[in-house]
Amino acid sequence: MAEVREPAIRVEDLRFSYGEIEAVKGISFEVMPGEILGFLGPNGAGKSTTIKMLIGLLPPQGGRATVLGTDVALDDPGLQARIGVCFEEKNLYLNMTARENLEFFAALYGVKDADVDGALRRVGLADRADDRVKTFSKGMRQRMMIARAFINRPDVLFLDEPTDGLDPVTAAAIRATIKEEAARGAAVLLTTHDMFEADELSDRVAFINEGVIVALDTPENLKIKHGTRAVRVRLRDGDGVAEEVLPLGDEAATKRLAELAASPDLLTIHTEEATLEQIFIKLTGRGLAG
Amino acid sequence: MKRTVSRAAIVRALLKKELVSYARDTVYLALTLVVLIATPLLFRALPDRVEEDLVLAVCPPVSRLLEGSAEALRALGASEADIARLREADLTKQEGLELVEFEDEKQLRAAIEGSLQVWRTREGKTVFIDTAAGEKRPKGAKRVDVQIGVAFPERFLADLATSARRLQVTVYTHASAPPELRHAVTSFVREAAFQVAGEGLPVQFPDEKDVVVGVDRLGNQVSLREKMRPMLLFIVLMMETFSMASLVSTEVLERTVTAVLVTPAKASDFIAAKTIFGTLVSLTQALFVLALIGGVTSQNWSLMLTVLLVGAVMFTGIALLVGAAGKDFMGQLFYAMLFTVPMLIPAFAVLFPGSVAPWVRILPTYPIIDVLVKATVYGGGWSGSAGSLAYAAVWLAVLFGAGVVVLKRKVASL
Repeated sequence: MAEVREPAIRVEDLRFSYGEIEAVKGISFEVMPGEILGFLGPNGAGKSTTIKMLIGLLPPQGGRATVLGTDVALDDPGLQARIGVCFEEKNLYLNMTARENLEFFAALYGVKDADVDGALRRVGLADRADDRVKTFSKGMRQRMMIARAFINRPDVLFLDEPTDGLDPVTAAAIRATIKEEAARGAAVLLTTHDMFEADELSDRVAFINEGVIVALDTPENLKIKHGTRAVRVRLRDGDGVAEEVLPLGDEAATKRLAELAASPDLLTIHTEEATLEQIFIKLTGRGLAG
Repeated sequence: MKRTVSRAAIVRALLKKELVSYARDTVYLALTLVVLIATPLLFRALPDRVEEDLVLAVCPPVSRLLEGSAEALRALGASEADIARLREADLTKQEGLELVEFEDEKQLRAAIEGSLQVWRTREGKTVFIDTAAGEKRPKGAKRVDVQIGVAFPERFLADLATSARRLQVTVYTHASAPPELRHAVTSFVREAAFQVAGEGLPVQFPDEKDVVVGVDRLGNQVSLREKMRPMLLFIVLMMETFSMASLVSTEVLERTVTAVLVTPAKASDFIAAKTIFGTLVSLTQALFVLALIGGVTSQNWSLMLTVLLVGAVMFTGIALLVGAAGKDFMGQLFYAMLFTVPMLIPAFAVLFPGSVAPWVRILPTYPIIDVLVKATVYGGGWSGSAGSLAYAAVWLAVLFGAGVVVLKRKVASL
């Protein structure tokens, strides 16, 4: 008999209001162990409020949410010991060294044999272990945030803009680390404005706007559903460049594409699939940055 | 995998973090060092004895005042014995009165103004120093503070007894001298005039009997240094409020508290660690200063420890309140002043026994300062302090409770 896996995060009709303002209007979703769910939406969409409820900082006012099978409203320390959080604000203890920061949080999580050096090595800060965090650059502090989120080898990770402020090489390394955590079996709820990052990392993405999830699917399915199945071919045309858009699945277009592919004047061929940003705008009428 | 961590282990980790944060912050360290060094130094700099003698400047010198007085008194019918007694009495060496004699009125006035300094050498010689002229004080001399003086006319007694003309006597008082001193000296001059002129006051003075209720401190007055001891201890406790409030507000403003609260640590652990740390730091500092300035005896040590502990916890509660309430540095400063300035009022008020207004007695810090004063200045014990301690405990619960509630609400709103 196949093993039935329980969702690491289960959210059902979750609601929260700040006075008269309804921030989260009954959202539902699940994240399985080992899955990365991209949680995308503009500022004020309800992402942070949702995450605050899931990590125990805000009590849900309606609906229900469980993390690792435990109701988040119970404020269970046993659950808190199994989650890792990377906040958007770099809320590190600046007067403590990198090592002291990680040792302190490991102690709070009850991790007795925390591999602090390994965690720092993983984010490229091993040589700065004994320097105070206040001497770190913005990017180094962000890497510390990641190291801190991973220090207790959590079963569920909540990552808010994890590569914010990082150079492309370090950002790629951090993304690889996030994938490793997911491969280990950790469920990851990833909040980001970076569509490339969401596309690259997420197994599924949820678009949230004005407290409501407007779409939830794999990036691939969303692109297929909301994009155009076509290729754009660019050819040298004398001194200029000519373009042709050929729909996929059409017999004549397929034949024409084969001809152009064999042409010595061919410059580039690109698919016409929509980006996540375009899909979000199409669904909500507003951009992610707003 | 289920992982458990005890509350004690969490609070221990938080305390270690507090210690590191405190020890590495130069502002907190500087504040602590200033308090630890400045308070004992200030204590030592304060006068340790009370000058009970009245210093009275007089001009011209007594010998010139008495010139011709024997003849005048004889003419008025005074007996030879009385005249001899007057001649032999050294008016400059009366108990409780220290006369400083000046040659002329101008000099006397300058001494009271302060432009002419009066010093007394070890041999008892009076030396006048004109500071404007760059004169230097003699070695080992002691400054005599002249606040009031009487300028008599030459041959005052003789003229008073025989002359029909009205004599002019001028009483000079420094602006800072208490008005009752001026009135006392003026009355003394009038009464003396009546007596010398042979016109006694039209009343029979009753036999006087002084009854001092309580401890008669004549000759054993509480010095300013002694009075300031409880106040200095109180200031040490209070100064720590600023550091603690800053530690709390930094955690709130930099959101490090939220990072802590998504771990198994609860808000109650966070507050417990802050309370323990704040109390320990302020209590340790107060005890350190107490060891330097004295005031603990084998009789009062347990009372002192208890009242300082109550004060330390109370100020930690205020620090939680201030740290959570301030939205930024200025906000924190505002709330710190708002809470600490009223708390300081009882410390000043008890310097002057009997003058404490009823509303000052209501303030949370009054019972603490009251116990400190009783224990360190007047040798009070548990029996006389129980009421104040009970009252302090009530305020402690109120302030600490308010601090916890405000901080919890603040943390929840982040």
